[in-house]
Order: sequence, then structure tokens, then C-alpha cells
Amino acid sequence: MRYLLISLTFLLVSCGSYPRKNDFQELGKSIEYVNNPYFSDKTKDYIYKAKIEAFDKSFGGIFIVKKLGPGHHRIVLTTEMGNKIFDFTLNRQSFRTNRIIPEMNKRILIKILKKDLKVLVREKSTAFMGYTKKRDTIWETRLDEETHYYFNKDQQLNKIIKVKGGKEKVEFIFSEINDNIVGQIQILHNKIPLKINLTAI
Amino acid sequence: MRNLFVIVSVFVFFALHGQEKAMTTSEITAFKNKVSATSLSTKTIQSDFTQYKYLDFLSNLIETSGNMAFKAPDMVKWHYTKPYNYSVVFNKDKLYINDDGSKSNVDLGNSKLFKKLNELIIASVKGDMFNDVDFVTTYLKTESLNKVVFVPKDQKIADYIASFELFFDRSKASVQEVKIIEPTGDYTQIIFRNRTLNQPLSDAVFAH
Repeated sequence: MRYLLISLTFLLVSCGSYPRKNDFQELGKSIEYVNNPYFSDKTKDYIYKAKIEAFDKSFGGIFIVKKLGPGHHRIVLTTEMGNKIFDFTLNRQSFRTNRIIPEMNKRILIKILKKDLKVLVREKSTAFMGYTKKRDTIWETRLDEETHYYFNKDQQLNKIIKVKGGKEKVEFIFSEINDNIVGQIQILHNKIPLKINLTAI
Repeated sequence: MRNLFVIVSVFVFFALHGQEKAMTTSEITAFKNKVSATSLSTKTIQSDFTQYKYLDFLSNLIETSGNMAFKAPDMVKWHYTKPYNYSVVFNKDKLYINDDGSKSNVDLGNSKLFKKLNELIIASVKGDMFNDVDFVTTYLKTESLNKVVFVPKDQKIADYIASFELFFDRSKASVQEVKIIEPTGDYTQIIFRNRTLNQPLSDAVFAH
């Protein structure tokens, strides 16, 4: 029990240190939820040209997201010539691999992709605390027990940062946004050499 | 009402499938000979193409297009120009990618499965793939087209590809369309147009 309390205290201190380190001004908790509207329209097919740099390899493909229902998305990556590289279904708490090529069928890789994709398509997250910095409003949320900060500028989500131990682990950067369609998405990992660049087509 | 629907459905099924008939043995022999002759005399092919990707959960097909160049015996370049600039060159045993200026020769297409698929695509461009022992082959005909369906024997390939269909122009014995059907029913369809044969084509086109 004592160790649990120490761990929890350490966790809270670690998470709390990120806003302080970055000179965030506390705003309080003025909203219940923070929204990510970018993959929320069931009528739309979200199609992106993907460029992926993973470790010492770089490859491309077509990245496809479709919302099928509340909290329910299908996410597929194909090669430019149409062969499926992976095919996942995310449904609230469940994650199913429908298809993945043998070269990518590694538990650790699927775990990383699962975490990234969950963040990417999650529409609504509970806001625990609000901050401001310059023109940004920043909301602290948790997803699978991990802390994420949602950066909004002019009431538009432009960045999500996953933080662990007070350090930035993964950045999701949204730019060229028009009518809730993101023209450019970058997913940058700071701890491992993995970069995903998505351009709407 | 329901009975009427069943009757109409059965009628439509037979009407549609009635258009496609199995070739006779002599028709198959004649057709294979014609395709082989065309293939042997083909030194280069240049063609535009449109590719459609069908995924059952999407509202629309994903359409991409570009041009293809083939030079005998084994160089092929697929150059996608819309909606992005991307080319993949199969030059002998090597594969080269140019993704909007980023060049590499490392690609997931290097996997054994994709290599086999790429071989099939190259063979299909030439139209000469009837001797591939890895497939069960069925020959069909319609009014204007010949259709050849290839079903993989290898379970590892069958897990990804249910069948591979080639549609041939009857008079020219050249491939007009390629369709790769996955076990789920999702498919990739490539339709060729503006095809020119045996025009001079520099090796530089296939350089990395």
C-alpha cells in the first residue's frame, strides 16, 4: 500500500511537472470534455498519403480511416498498389487486427500503432485541467492511464502531446485544417525512431 | 412481395452470369496461342492506367491514376501522377521507389507475398502467365472480352488473394483490365487505356 501511494505521488508529481516546466498558466477546469473532430464524420472517407520512417526503413502507402459508429473506426494502410499492410478495427475499448502483413506482425509494433491510432481517432476526452500559453489553450486528458495535452489555437485543435515522466513522448501535429478536414498530420515519436506523415488526398 | 423479390433476384443472377461462359478446350488453346504470339512480339508497352481500390466499408472507391511502361524482358515502371507523384520500378530482380522525390529501394513490397504479386502484375501486363503452376486457371468469355481467373494454390498467398482476374480484348489479345480480389471481397482494379506497343523506350526510364 505504501509503495502504491509513493508510486501514485511520484506519478502525479511527474505529470504535474510538464505544465510547470513549460510555463503553462493554470486556467482551471472550465470544460467537461475536449473534442477531436477530425475523424468524426460517418459520411466521410478519410484518405491520406502516408510516409513512414520507422527505424532505418522508410516506406509509403495509403492510410484510410472510416468512422462506422460511436467510438467505432476502421483503419487500414495499403501500399500504393493496393495491397493491405494492416487493417484494424477500433471499437470503444476493443482493438482488433483484421489483417497485418507478416513483416509487421510484431506485438510491440502493434501495441505502438494501437496507442497512436486510438489517440488519433478518439473524439471526446474528459478534461482534467486547463492551461494557457500565449495563444494556446491546453487541456490535460488521460487515455489508457496516460496523460495527453490537447493544444487548441483559435478554438481549433492543432496538437496533442503524450507526456510521460514530465517528458514529451509522442506529438500529433494537425495543420492545413479546413472544415474539420486535416490536410497534414504528423505523428512524431521522441523515444523511438518513428515518424508518420499523412497528407490528405 | 418477398417472393417477387426472390424471383427477380434469381432472374437477375442468371441474366448477369449467363453473359459469361466457359471457353471450350479448342477456344482456350486458340486464345493462349494468340496471347503468346502477342506477348512474344511485344518489346515495349506504354499505357495510361486508372486504379480503383474497393474497400467494403468505404462510401467511395479510392481512385489513383498514372502511366505504365514495360520493356522486355523484365523492366516495368508504374508512375502514379494523381493524386500524388509516386513511382515504383521493377528492374530485373530489383525494386526502386520514388515517393515524390524521396528515393528508396526498401519497401514493404519486398516481402515474398508482394514480390509474387508484382511478378503476377508484370506477367499480366504482358498477358503471358498461363504457365504459372502456382494457380488454378479458369477461362471464360463474354461477347467482347476473354476473362481468365487465377486462384492461388499456395495457402499463404490464398490468405491474401482469393483470385486474380485478367480481362483481355478479344481482337488484340492484350490485357485491358486487372482485378485482384481479396478473400474479404475487397479488390484492386487496374484499367489500361491509350496503350501503345513497340515504340522506342529508353532504359533511362527505368533508372533509379
